Amino acid sequence: MKKEFTPRITSFLCKWCTYTGADLAGTARLQYPTSIIPIQVMCSSRVDPVFLIKAFLSGSDGVLIGGCHPGDCHYETGNYHARRRFAIVKSVFESLGLESQRLKLSWISASEGPKFARVANEYTEEIMELGENPTRKNIFL
Amino acid sequence: MSSIVIDTSASRKVKELLRFLLDSGKIDAAVTMRKIPENNSYDLTLITDAPDLDEAVPVIPVMTVNAGQVLSSISTSGKKIAAVLKPCELRAFVELVKREQGSFENLLTISYTCGGVFPLELVKEGQIEELLPKYDKTISKGEVPINTRDTCRACEHFIPMNADITVSVSGECESGKGCVMYLNTEKAEEFTEGFGGERSEQKFDPSLFQKTLDARLAEKGKLFASITKDGPGLDGLLDLFGKCVGCHGCNSVCPICYCLLCDFESANFDYNLPYFEEYLSRRGALRLPPDTIFFHMGRLTHMSFSCVGCGMCSDVCPVGIPVAAVFKKTGEKTAALFDYVPGRDVEESIPVMVYKEEELSDIG
Amino acid sequence: MTDSELKGAVLPALKKPGGAVRDFLRLAMEKELADAVILPMKVPSGDSFAWILMNDISLLDDAVPIAATMPVQGAKALRSLTRKGPGNLKIIAVMRPCEIRAAMELSKLGQVHPENLILATYDCPGAVQLQKYVDDPAGSEEYFAGMLQKGKPDDSAKPVCHTCENFSMFDSDIHFGYLGLSEKEVLVIPGSEKGSALLEGLGLDLTKDLQAWEKGIDQLKADKLNSRKSTFEETKAQLNGFNGLLSVFANCIGCHNCQSACPICYCRLCYFDSETAEQDPDALITAAEKRGGISLPVDRIMFHTGRMAHMSLSCVSCGQCSDACPVSIPVADVFSYVADQTQRTFEYTAGRNDGDPLPLRQFRKAELPGVHELVKDADAEVPSHE
Ligand code: SF4
Ligand code: SF4
Ligand code: SF4
Ligand code: SF4
Repeated sequence: MKKEFTPRITSFLCKWCTYTGADLAGTARLQYPTSIIPIQVMCSSRVDPVFLIKAFLSGSDGVLIGGCHPGDCHYETGNYHARRRFAIVKSVFESLGLESQRLKLSWISASEGPKFARVANEYTEEIMELGENPTRKNIFL
Repeated sequence: MSSIVIDTSASRKVKELLRFLLDSGKIDAAVTMRKIPENNSYDLTLITDAPDLDEAVPVIPVMTVNAGQVLSSISTSGKKIAAVLKPCELRAFVELVKREQGSFENLLTISYTCGGVFPLELVKEGQIEELLPKYDKTISKGEVPINTRDTCRACEHFIPMNADITVSVSGECESGKGCVMYLNTEKAEEFTEGFGGERSEQKFDPSLFQKTLDARLAEKGKLFASITKDGPGLDGLLDLFGKCVGCHGCNSVCPICYCLLCDFESANFDYNLPYFEEYLSRRGALRLPPDTIFFHMGRLTHMSFSCVGCGMCSDVCPVGIPVAAVFKKTGEKTAALFDYVPGRDVEESIPVMVYKEEELSDIG
Repeated sequence: MTDSELKGAVLPALKKPGGAVRDFLRLAMEKELADAVILPMKVPSGDSFAWILMNDISLLDDAVPIAATMPVQGAKALRSLTRKGPGNLKIIAVMRPCEIRAAMELSKLGQVHPENLILATYDCPGAVQLQKYVDDPAGSEEYFAGMLQKGKPDDSAKPVCHTCENFSMFDSDIHFGYLGLSEKEVLVIPGSEKGSALLEGLGLDLTKDLQAWEKGIDQLKADKLNSRKSTFEETKAQLNGFNGLLSVFANCIGCHNCQSACPICYCRLCYFDSETAEQDPDALITAAEKRGGISLPVDRIMFHTGRMAHMSLSCVSCGQCSDACPVSIPVADVFSYVADQTQRTFEYTAGRNDGDPLPLRQFRKAELPGVHELVKDADAEVPSHE
């Protein structure tokens, strides 16, 4: 039995798409969990890979990047770069045997309020399943 | 493209070539390893006068500094330079040129089939001389010398990827064919015009190195397994890097890490007291200085796909962390996502500078 | 430093010095006279130590107050914590005397803010060389136990420890002394108002006179001064002339590990790594042409002599630079010797907390009378190439 806990999911959400989508979910009174800690960024490509690493090592149970669907980037190509960078961080995690499920990238447009709520719920559940991030208690990092 | 048959040791022949190039004014300077006469050790040297070549030892299993890193500060001088490089040094230089940290324009690159280099701790007071006979014998049999750098033993890119001139120093010599200097480019043909020696049309035959390749791949499997098959995990990572003293020596000798001021030494990661207080309140304790694992994971993310596995980082680590093995393993896995091989082709962009619209469909 | 009026308290816990220190810290935290402490702790792999800032008392049991080796110079830990200001937490840090001295230098340089720190030292027997420790932790612990017992370094210790004259109390807030005492005694001695206030708050009885301890220190100091003298003579002979310097640093690969391990070298970007110091490619070729050839990377001797000029006045002879050198150059032996010379010139002792500013932060109109003559004498030998 996994101990019940409230996960913390640091979420970098693109201003033009996902953040607006999250807003929409809110105004439509769609339920999504408080585990999501939103941080607005101008573009998913603003998320330096080291943000993900820092959030992970600081004890975030999950780290979510939300951006516009490929092809829809407000800056045209930002999310393609974001995708590559995300793939690199994920590969570093996998290669080191760290739980790469704690990192997630999701494309959610401004009109996809329901999708945001669904992703937030599903990801929170997945993280609950995984349990608390072991970095939370480590003092040698 | 033709080749030149070598009638003496490979190192001597390359030295003759450098002498010829300097004497004939085809180059202004040569970059090569040299024996330090005063203390029987070796260093990398920039030589402009042919007589100073006397101490040069172009082919020697010693790497005091990754020559690719040093070349980046010389190659743009506008002078013609010939550089003798180990394959991973050449690959590192290719990676640097991609990052606008050097130029091939006035450079003639000479590289050779590399048997691996000895760790720095063995590079003093004549120890190399004692090790050489056994080393030569081992590599000529297509086997892997036991006391070379761990990432050298595990290196499958010991055949230079894009040198102007490739010298075969192992394998072939043993199979009775004599060592050969292969001229791979127009540039090589041009520069060697007038240089003596028997010419032939012989082509470089990688299959002669199959045994070496197999042995290296087996070693690589072992090395990567030592970092554990599925990766070390958080605890394993701490076992590996927990004793890091944060000197960042690994970063400063890495040819790929060319930043004057590393991000992880910048003010971006200075913290004020409330940060530490917050940590204390959550964990009851924390390490000082902070960010030990963060630095390594950050560096892995920033550059491991360009890691050429030269092993400099492990060699300078004061606490013996197998930095290079971790970086090579992670780097290969990451580079494979983009079908990228560091140092393969100077025209190939580094993975973070480009993208494809249709790729990585499992993400997002 | 000690004066005859000063008295100390015998610690209630009669264990090895490290145990007594731990009990002392526990008491200080329990009585809320300290919010947190900084101590070494074994890293998970067990073959080295890391500095841990802790406010969780239960972790004290895992700490090793007097560690056998010195992987990260303590002043660097203090700097990472307080470089932006002193903060509100009252923190006791237990470190070697050379670490506290380096912290004092850094505080003069505005890099450590010690206002809310209580800096504690102990009679330091020396530190095992880092690589030795990592290679053989168990054996090293045995060596260190022996060193602790005798109070002085053996062959496993860093070479600079043998010549260290400031191995005991040196301007710290409190000091744990055990030299010259019976094996079951550890003294705690206040060294500042802050220190006195802490001991008073703990209700410790400052009645024990310090004679026995001072005698123990003085004896050892005499030995150390002798070995300092002879070692410096040797280093001086070795460094004789430019070629001497060259031969010591002949195998240097220019990694600058010595600089980055040094507690005093706090610059984010070392001048010698900066663009200003970088030679342009043409100048490099010209330099090579003048000599026929030059060793790469260039400017290694420039780096070392430049670093001596920049920081030797603050060098505390901690030996971290030697421990960090991948090609085993005795960097600290050279720096320690040079520091002795430069500090002597200004009658300055690095790490002294007596309000004396750094020598390069002040000048007097009439001083250094010999300097001009020195310059005149120095033109004897001009080396022809590097
Ligand atoms: S060289 Fe070793 S100790 Fe220094 S930062 Fe790199 S891994 Fe850490
Ligand atoms: S990470 Fe290490 S092995 Fe890889 S290129 Fe840099 S120094 Fe060489
Ligand atoms: S640590 Fe050693 S090799 Fe590196 S720069 Fe200093 S003296 Fe040279
Ligand atoms: S130069 Fe060496 S001995 Fe002196 S303070 Fe720096 S690390 Fe310590």
